[in-house]
Amino acid sequence: MLPLAAFADFMQQIVSGLASGGIYAALALALVIIHRSTGVINFAQGEMATLCTYIAWTLTVNHGWSYWPAFVVTLAFSFLFGVGTHRVVIRPVEGGNVLRIVIVTIGLLIAVNGFVTWQWSGEQRQLESPFPSNTIDVGGVAISVQDIGTIAVTIGIVVLLWGLFRFTKVGLALRAAAVNPAEARLVGVRVTWMLALGWGLAATLGAVAGMLTAPSVGLDPNMMAPILIYAFAAAVLGGIDSPLGAVVGGLLLGVLLNVVSYLSQYHGFGWFTEELRLPLALGIILVVLLVKPSGLFGHAEVKRV
Amino acid sequence: MRKTSFSAVVLAVIALAALPGALASPATRAADPGITSTTILLGGTAPLTGPAAAYASVARGAKAYFDSVNAKGGVAGRKIQYKYLDDGYDPAQTVQDTRQLVEQDKAFAIFNTLGTEVNLSIRDYLNAHKIPQLFAASGATTFGRDVAQYPWTIGFQPSYQAEGWVLGQYLAKTKKRGKVGVLFQNDDYGKDLLGGFKRGLQSSGVKVVAAQPYEVTASDVSSQVAKLKASHAGIFAIFATPKFAIQAYVFANRLGWRPAVIDNAVSAASNIMLLASEGGKNKAVEGTVALNFLKDPTDERWKKDPGVRTYRAIMSKYAKGANVNDVYHVYGMAVAYETVSLFKRLGANPTRAGLMAKARSLNDPSNPFLLPGIAVKTGPGDGFPIQQGQLQRWTKGRWAPFGGIWTSKKL
Repeated sequence: MLPLAAFADFMQQIVSGLASGGIYAALALALVIIHRSTGVINFAQGEMATLCTYIAWTLTVNHGWSYWPAFVVTLAFSFLFGVGTHRVVIRPVEGGNVLRIVIVTIGLLIAVNGFVTWQWSGEQRQLESPFPSNTIDVGGVAISVQDIGTIAVTIGIVVLLWGLFRFTKVGLALRAAAVNPAEARLVGVRVTWMLALGWGLAATLGAVAGMLTAPSVGLDPNMMAPILIYAFAAAVLGGIDSPLGAVVGGLLLGVLLNVVSYLSQYHGFGWFTEELRLPLALGIILVVLLVKPSGLFGHAEVKRV
Repeated sequence: MRKTSFSAVVLAVIALAALPGALASPATRAADPGITSTTILLGGTAPLTGPAAAYASVARGAKAYFDSVNAKGGVAGRKIQYKYLDDGYDPAQTVQDTRQLVEQDKAFAIFNTLGTEVNLSIRDYLNAHKIPQLFAASGATTFGRDVAQYPWTIGFQPSYQAEGWVLGQYLAKTKKRGKVGVLFQNDDYGKDLLGGFKRGLQSSGVKVVAAQPYEVTASDVSSQVAKLKASHAGIFAIFATPKFAIQAYVFANRLGWRPAVIDNAVSAASNIMLLASEGGKNKAVEGTVALNFLKDPTDERWKKDPGVRTYRAIMSKYAKGANVNDVYHVYGMAVAYETVSLFKRLGANPTRAGLMAKARSLNDPSNPFLLPGIAVKTGPGDGFPIQQGQLQRWTKGRWAPFGGIWTSKKL
């Protein structure tokens, strides 16, 4: 048993895990959206999010804009950036082996990272947060308003996305274009534009993730690199085509990693040290793919042969 | 002129004779590669991209200084060319780049390569080929301690162990008792700082009650900071690189934790501290204590200082568009200045062996880019060029120095 006095410390680790998990969830959402609306895994998702976050930083810090106008302009930019990326970089390789797109997105990751370093240098930056910096104390457990805000925004996005896919024609067309482009085209869905729209949406979500993440972890050209792997783990755990799954997966992953690392100081878990945090996340990807590839909330893929 | 060169050779032979395995060095060979009647080629790598890209300014500052010296005719009629390649902070890339610099470009010496692992990856190669690894930009203790084994390698900045020791001694001398929680990077750099720190605290009432490591691949350190708070530490020692140091302040503040903070020098530049302050919202930053050895260009005290004025003039002419307030540029200039004076002492016919001999007998009490009172000094049994520092306290948005100059000799 845990010593009673340690209960608050344990809860603090849960809260801190939820906060980290909220960050994984935000980026995982973008990964899920692009997969759901285009069938692609975009390895450059994190770097695109970083680039968009730098737009927000430039507007607020260099041009003295206040937060919300900069936020809106950044979202508009990132949408166009996503659509443009699809039209220019992805569309030429579409239609063949999916590996080609995967390799192009890896190339895109390196190119965007290089561009960001060239344009903004590797210097450390800080983006202001839209949330107050104070902390609520609940029975000795500190809960920061920033973290509550991050998770709330992420959940809000899930509700919006659910509405989009469930109730709107665009949402239906997006799904149709991803699942069966040929037949979707036959019934009048403009498949190419739907795919571009999917890229735009995902880039916009990525920008939101970047702007939520930067006030916590700091902005630099490699901000998203360590987060991307956790976001993949979160997306796979929750089900790669489920927005709700991405959020639940992210929060679960954050809490799980912290709990394992916390218990390691108590009960014969001494072998679990910080070095194993990343391998554990990768292990989760592997186990989920082997045991339940559809994840917690995803739909099992059924193919007619 | 011949005489200086001869004595340099003699010195080199004496220095090398003391070192097992180096006896066969052809110190009398006519001319080493990388040197012509008009040029000296120094090669190096720097993290222009990748996770440590913030340190790219170190190479840029050094280059700007060499350019300014070259514009005035160089050293003994030779221009110092400094060619640095991007290694992305990846040791595998460093090895490739360094081989290219040595074997294709025929660099005279490898200079100012940045990073602990990065420098370790090329140390054997350079020593085997008897090529100077001059002023390696890392505070790992091995670069100053293992002179006998690696006679061709020399560092520059204070060692991390020495820095940790000074910070520990400061607490031991100013506090009767206290509990310290330490956040450290899980590699040689973080462990050296922690080791030195514990030694500095020895037999005092101040104890390390918790030490939490993080991996450079970590997404954030919130879990570690929460554990340190839970250890009821009243003092928080941050032995982390800028990104994670800023996070440490941010998460301490979010947890409502208000410890006294000790920070390490690599993350104590004013611009980093200002970022950690979150525009004044973060109260955990105020009162932080750190060790420093460079003149911070944003510090009002140095507004009329000749060193900082020179620095600003060189930056505006030879590093257009760079951020002048970035203190890593100052580091680059300090190390380039020392290199130029080294070549001045080498005279008309510099050799690689001569360069190392002079580097092992530095005595410069007044590098204009270092804090007053801090000397660059080496000698027999002393492989650490800088071993001094000034403690400073972050007060109302700037560093305020206090106490005298600390010197660490035994580490």
